[in-house]
Amino acid sequence: MHNGTKVGVISTILTAGCLLWILALVPRASAIPAFSRKYQTSCATCHNDYPELNDFGEAFKKNGFKFPMDDESFVKEPPVLLGAKAQKEAFPNAIYPGEIPGNIPISFRYSGNFIYNSKRPDAVAATSFTPRTDLFVPNTLTIIGAGSFGQNISFWIDNDISAAGSGANGGLGDGYAKFDVSHYVGLPSRVLNVRFGQFELDLPFSQARTIYPSPYDIFSETAVAQPTTTPGQTVFETTNNPFFLGTPQRGIELGGYANNRNFTWSVAFDDGTNSAYGLGPALSARNTKDVYVRVSQRFNLERDPQSRNAVQAAGPTGPRDHTSIRFGGFYYHGTNELNHPVNGSPQFTFLGTIQEPFYRAGGDLRFKYRNKIELFGVGMVGHDDNHTVDAVAQTISGARAVTFTGGFAGSNFWIYPWLIPYMRYDFVNSPTDFANGVSQYRTRNRFSPGFQVLVRANIKVIGEYQYHWGQPFIDPTTNNTLFFRPNSFVSGIDYVF
Amino acid sequence: MSTWKMAVKTVGVISFALIFASTGRAGDVKGKVSVQGIKSPENIAVYVDAIPGKKFDPPADHVAVDQRKMNFVPRVTVVLQGTTVDFVNSDSVAHNVYWPSVGGNKKLAHNLGTWPKGDKKSFQFTDLGTAALLCNVHPEMSAFVVVVPTPYFAVTDADGSFEMKDVPPGTYTLKTWSEDGKVTTQSVTVASGTANADLTVKK
Repeated sequence: MHNGTKVGVISTILTAGCLLWILALVPRASAIPAFSRKYQTSCATCHNDYPELNDFGEAFKKNGFKFPMDDESFVKEPPVLLGAKAQKEAFPNAIYPGEIPGNIPISFRYSGNFIYNSKRPDAVAATSFTPRTDLFVPNTLTIIGAGSFGQNISFWIDNDISAAGSGANGGLGDGYAKFDVSHYVGLPSRVLNVRFGQFELDLPFSQARTIYPSPYDIFSETAVAQPTTTPGQTVFETTNNPFFLGTPQRGIELGGYANNRNFTWSVAFDDGTNSAYGLGPALSARNTKDVYVRVSQRFNLERDPQSRNAVQAAGPTGPRDHTSIRFGGFYYHGTNELNHPVNGSPQFTFLGTIQEPFYRAGGDLRFKYRNKIELFGVGMVGHDDNHTVDAVAQTISGARAVTFTGGFAGSNFWIYPWLIPYMRYDFVNSPTDFANGVSQYRTRNRFSPGFQVLVRANIKVIGEYQYHWGQPFIDPTTNNTLFFRPNSFVSGIDYVF
Repeated sequence: MSTWKMAVKTVGVISFALIFASTGRAGDVKGKVSVQGIKSPENIAVYVDAIPGKKFDPPADHVAVDQRKMNFVPRVTVVLQGTTVDFVNSDSVAHNVYWPSVGGNKKLAHNLGTWPKGDKKSFQFTDLGTAALLCNVHPEMSAFVVVVPTPYFAVTDADGSFEMKDVPPGTYTLKTWSEDGKVTTQSVTVASGTANADLTVKK
C-alpha cells in the first residue's frame, strides 16, 4: 500500500474510532428523581452511586418501579385513577380501569465533562486535531420519564440532548412499556414480563446506566474486515457489521425473575443494526431479526436465612446490601445483510444480497461485599461470517471469519457512602483491527482508575484517567510507523432533579 | 358547748382544711409558643427545667416511637431522664435507628441496628439533651428525643399551644427546645388552677 494512502487509511480509522468513542461517551442516564418525589425519599434509598442501584433499587426496578411490598402505603403522590377499581367487574362493558402518575414523572439530568488530553505527536495533530483541553464536552441534558400505569404496567423513556454527538438533535435512548403477564399464565408475579419498544438489551452491566464516564470497550466493538477501500482495489473482504452490544435495540423482550428474584432471564427479538456504510447503498434495516438471550443467577452469601430472603440484609448498623455473587451468560445472534439492491444499484451488481450471520457470546461475574466492595468482570467473543468478493472474476467465496475477544474487569470501593474510588481494565483482542492498524498490538488494553464524589445525594463530581493502548501514526521524516497513547483525564459534574 | 360555738368551730375547721388544700394542690401550665424566623411553632418541646434538690424517678411505662410510611412518628418526643423508649418498625421496608450524639456529645452516639416489621428495640435515655434520630437507608427520615430533667413537659401543636398538667405549686424556669430555634427560658409561678405562660422562640 502507498505511504500516502497508508496515512489516509490510518487517519480515517483514527477519526472514526475517536468519533465512535466520543459518541459512546455521551452519558445515558437512568437516575430518576421523579421516584424520589413520588415517595418523598432520598435518591440513596435506591442508589448507592446513581445511577447504579443498590439491592432495594434492584427490587424496585424488578417490581415495575414500585416498592417491593405495600407500595401504596409509601406513595406520597397518589396516582390519578382512570377508572374506579370496581370497573374491573364491569369489564368488558367498560374500559378496564388504570391509573397514571399523580404528577408528570419527569426528571432531568445534566452532565458536563472537562477533558485533558495527552499531547499528540505533530504528525497526528496535523491530520487529526485534538485539543489539549476541552471544556464540557460532551455536554448532555437528559430528559427521563418513568413510572407505572397501575399494578402490572411500567414504562421508561429517556432522551439525550447534547452539545455535540448523537444527541445534538435529540436522541431517544430507551422508550418502552413493560407488562407483567405472569398471572395470566398462572405464574408468580414478575416471572414473565413482556417489554416493547426501544431499549438497552439486558446486558450484564448496563452501558446506558453506568457510573463511569467511559463505555465498556468490548460493548462498543464492531466487526469490520477492512474499513476503507483503495482506488483500483478489485478484491474485497465483505464483513462490515456496525452492530455493537451497547447500542439500544428496537424489539420485543420476554423476561422475568424467579427464585426470590435471584434468577433473571430474558429473550429479546430485535431489529438489529445493519450496515450503514460499506458495500452498496446504506441500509439501516433488514428483513431478518436478531435474538438475544441472557440468564443469570445470584447466590446470596448472607448467613442469616431471614436476612437472606429479605430485600436488604440486616446489618448491625442498619440495613445494607447483601453479600452475594452473581454468575451469568449471554448470547446474541444476528445476520448482517450487505449489497442490498436498493434503488437498483448495489456495489456488486453480479451478486444478490450477501447474508453474514454473526454472534456475540459471553459470561459475567459480580461479587458484592455488603455496601463496601464490588468486583466484576465480563468475557466475550464475537464472530462474523466473512466473504471475499473478486470484482473482476465476479466471484464470491467464503473467507476467514472476523473474530474478536475481550472483556473488562473492575472494582468499586465505598470508602464512605459518598466517596467511591474505582479501577477498571478493558481489553479487546481483534486480529482484524490489528491488521487494519487500529492498535500497536493485537490486544488493546485500557486502564481507567477513577473516583466519584457524591457532593449531595443528587449531585456528583467525577474523575477518570484513561490509559490507552498504543495507536499507530506515520512519522513523516522516516516514513516509519510509530505509536502513541491517546491518554486522557475526564472530570466533570453531574446532577439530577 | 352551745350549738353556735359548735357551728363556728366546724366552719373554721372546714375553712382551714380548704385553705390548706388549695395551697398544696397541683396546677396546670398552659400557654402558646410564637416563633420568629422559624417556619412553624409546631413540635417545639416546652419543659420545666431542673428543680434544685429534686430528683424524679423515671416512669415504668415505656414511650414508643414508630417508623411508619418512612416517617418517624411522632417527630418530637420528650422524655424524663431515665425513660426507656421503644422503637417500633411498622413498615414493610427495612429501617434502622441511630443518633450521632446526645446533647452534642458524640460519645453518646448509638446505633440500634435493624429489626423487622412488627418488632421493636428499646433504649434507656439516661443523659440529658437531644438525640436526633436518623435512619441509615432513608436519609430523609428524622425525629428527635428530648431528654429533660423533670416530668413536666409538653410538645406544641400546630398553632404553638401547649399544656402541662399537675405541676406542683412553685416558681420554675420554663425552657424550650426546637429543631431550628434557639433555647428560650421564662419564669412561671404555679399555684392552684392554671398558670399562663407565652413564649417566643427565635431562630
